[in-house]
Amino acid sequence: MDKKVLPVIEFKNVGLSFDNNTILKNVSFEIEAGQFYTLLGPSGSGKSTILNLISGQLSADAGEILFDGKVINNIPAESRRVNTVFQNYALFPNMTVFDNVAFGPKLKKLPKDTIKAKVREMLALVKLEAFENRAIQELSGGQKQRVAIARALANEPDVLLLDEPLSALDYKLRKQMQSELRAIQKRLGITFIFVTHDQEEALAMSDWIFIMNDGKIQQNGTPVDIYDEPINHFVADFIGESNIVNGVMKQDYLVNFVGKDFENLDAGMRPNEAVEVVLRPEDLDLVPIEQGKLVVTIADQSFRGDFYEITAIDDDGNEWKVQATNPSSVGARVGLDFGPEDIHVMRFNESEDDFDARIESYEGE
Amino acid sequence: MKDNSRAKIFFAIPYISWLAVFVIVPIGLLIYQSLTNVQGSFTLANFHEFITSNVYLPMAFNSVFYALIITLITFMISFPAAYVLSHLKHRQLWLMLIILPTWINVLLKTYAFLGLLSKSGIINQLFSTFGLGTHNLLFNHVSFIFVAVYLELPFMLLPIYNSINEIDPDILKASRDLGAKPINTLSQLVFPLSINGIKSGIQAVFIPSLSLFMLTTLIGGNKVMTLGSAIELHFIVTQNWHMGSTIAIILILAMAVTMYFTRERGKRK
Amino acid sequence: MQKKLLGNSYLLLVMILLYIPIIFLVVYSFNGGTIMSGWGGFSFVHYQELFADTRLLKILLDTFILAISSATIAAFIGTVGALFLDGIQNKKTLNTFLSFNNVLLVSPDVTIGVSFLILFTILGFSLGFVSVLVSHIAFSIPIVLLMVLPRLREMDNTLVMAARDLGAKRGTILSQIVIPEIWPSIMAGFLLALTYSLDDFAVTFFVTGNGFSTLSVEIYSRARQGVSLEINALSALMFAVSLLLVFTYYLYTTYADKKARLTK
Repeated sequence: MDKKVLPVIEFKNVGLSFDNNTILKNVSFEIEAGQFYTLLGPSGSGKSTILNLISGQLSADAGEILFDGKVINNIPAESRRVNTVFQNYALFPNMTVFDNVAFGPKLKKLPKDTIKAKVREMLALVKLEAFENRAIQELSGGQKQRVAIARALANEPDVLLLDEPLSALDYKLRKQMQSELRAIQKRLGITFIFVTHDQEEALAMSDWIFIMNDGKIQQNGTPVDIYDEPINHFVADFIGESNIVNGVMKQDYLVNFVGKDFENLDAGMRPNEAVEVVLRPEDLDLVPIEQGKLVVTIADQSFRGDFYEITAIDDDGNEWKVQATNPSSVGARVGLDFGPEDIHVMRFNESEDDFDARIESYEGE
Repeated sequence: MKDNSRAKIFFAIPYISWLAVFVIVPIGLLIYQSLTNVQGSFTLANFHEFITSNVYLPMAFNSVFYALIITLITFMISFPAAYVLSHLKHRQLWLMLIILPTWINVLLKTYAFLGLLSKSGIINQLFSTFGLGTHNLLFNHVSFIFVAVYLELPFMLLPIYNSINEIDPDILKASRDLGAKPINTLSQLVFPLSINGIKSGIQAVFIPSLSLFMLTTLIGGNKVMTLGSAIELHFIVTQNWHMGSTIAIILILAMAVTMYFTRERGKRK
Repeated sequence: MQKKLLGNSYLLLVMILLYIPIIFLVVYSFNGGTIMSGWGGFSFVHYQELFADTRLLKILLDTFILAISSATIAAFIGTVGALFLDGIQNKKTLNTFLSFNNVLLVSPDVTIGVSFLILFTILGFSLGFVSVLVSHIAFSIPIVLLMVLPRLREMDNTLVMAARDLGAKRGTILSQIVIPEIWPSIMAGFLLALTYSLDDFAVTFFVTGNGFSTLSVEIYSRARQGVSLEINALSALMFAVSLLLVFTYYLYTTYADKKARLTK
């Protein structure tokens, strides 16, 4: 994303509160055309609120929302070039599949043939060609989901909003719909904004993720960036499994935790600054005691299919989660090994801008 | 949502006009009538007379007494019936059969009793075949209560049935499982769990029983005076609307008291 | 087992009690005699009387016209009122409206009748068909509202959101989404208002004049003069109509149920 494209949607210091409860605090971000975005966060973090602000179901108390460079705060929902796939599908029960999908085109007073062609095209896109005349009550959950997608896309939106659309589906169907949604987005080339609380889903589908908590965007970036370099405790904890311990950044590239100094790849902090240290379970290895950086005792072990999840405790009483390919035995004393690149240091209360600037300052060297 | 104020007004006007003209104004007029005399000046004389004269207050107590008896009898008949009904296999059909008579005009049903209970009617014929002689069954307190119970029965039975039917069958199974006899289950579970149905049944029976006036004329032979028939008397026969309105206000107060005592309280989530 | 038998026979007894007067009425409508006792042979003579009694037939027709028109108008105003109340966000305001709404539902019909009588008299409104019609509309509105409002409240709000999202304006949302969704409850409200109107005696009794009568009021005045088997014939016919209605309703609902189950 080097070249500067005009963002399709832009939030400038948007805020919203209900009955003295602040839902969104001063949120700013840009959305570029043609990408798959995900708003990821726990329930109540404000992610669905952002979606409703974009679609126009809610209006902001403060700040500006821009669409194609124009402020749209006062444009009603029905006039925005944005459509939504709702969590519970919100299919009209008194209409057939065809009439549901044709609802938007009919309102635009398109010619009958055009509507018919459009509906067929959309139903083909979601692989429901044969279902035109079905009643909504006759559909399975997955089929309803597809109709909801077809209905929203039939309106030819510039941006498609998806509000936790897969949460009601079972695991297998969800996986299948994830890749289908991704394929549809690639094929149509329009912007998708997807809301979910499922971090695995977000990592698998998105070009770009916004992590929300407490009415604020905590961090945004590509799935890989966010996974590898979480900005704070919340993000590190929310995305994937983490071991998080307190430490002190003695100097650039040298961090102290659990009473020992370790070489690492982070820099740009004050000398002896208190920090948090993140080590991912899959980056930790169990080795013979003499080869390890720490000595731990195996406390618990459970088989997870493709790996063993092991809980180990070091001599200071810290708990370490380790993902190992080989089983160990509970009670055994072993070494814990990791490299400088496996250590990720987070400062307390660092803003995203400061974080980006700091990384730039030493990675550019 | 500022753009919908016009639509809101469009929806509000007919409804609010109705509220004003047919709910608020009539109550106001009733109160006004009860607080004025024939000359149109304000006075509490009507209420004073209601309380002090030896006609109105005994009449009111009588009316409440009859309504209580009617309510009690309908409840005693309805509760077991509702309980049995809730255990039946084809209860939808039975329920339909209970609702069906309520579709028939009340006056027609009342009229039927004029024939049933008359001197040469079928009941008296039965009595005489068993050597019990014929009796004056119509135009007394008993016939009034009997027909009132008949007319109100479905309105007690249906709400009780509904609330018994809503009780989770597993609760009753659990009660048996824990060693409760049917009578314990009935008194400790079914009755308390259906209390809201019983309360709405009482509302649906007690309040109309206070105001029934066609029954007092047709079946009670004017031997029974209810608040309702007193109101009719003052409005239609003696044309004393001020006293009539006073009794109507008393009736509304009686209704309010009934509603208060039978309200649903402490609804748990 | 014995207990079950006891319970069932008790219920049967209650049912018999409920139906005796009705069966009695119907049976005697075929009596050749003139009173509801004794038996003067099987005859249709009272039905002939009934169909020759133009006054009663006109009253019957009037009663139905009154019921259908009052229920229709009440269904409209009640639905509009429900839409208005549904739009009120403030809980306190809503509850105030609802308690006023319920006044006519819980008030004894006598008080409704006399208070309307005072109202019409003060307004100088002459008593007749119109005053009865207006009164029936007035007491039916809260019935309709109470059927429609809960349905509106439990209606999936995302349906409206989805329609807006797809470009529908307020009018379209109302006619294509909201009304179809609440239509069954409007119909239920209409039917209930219809039965209330057909069954009403007390309110009509007070607000009708000399020129207009409904079935209830007519039976009341005839019954005061004594038994006439023509009324039995009328009740038998009305009972048959009720039976037919209930039966159709039953068939309709079981059919709808079956359809709903099949489509699941």
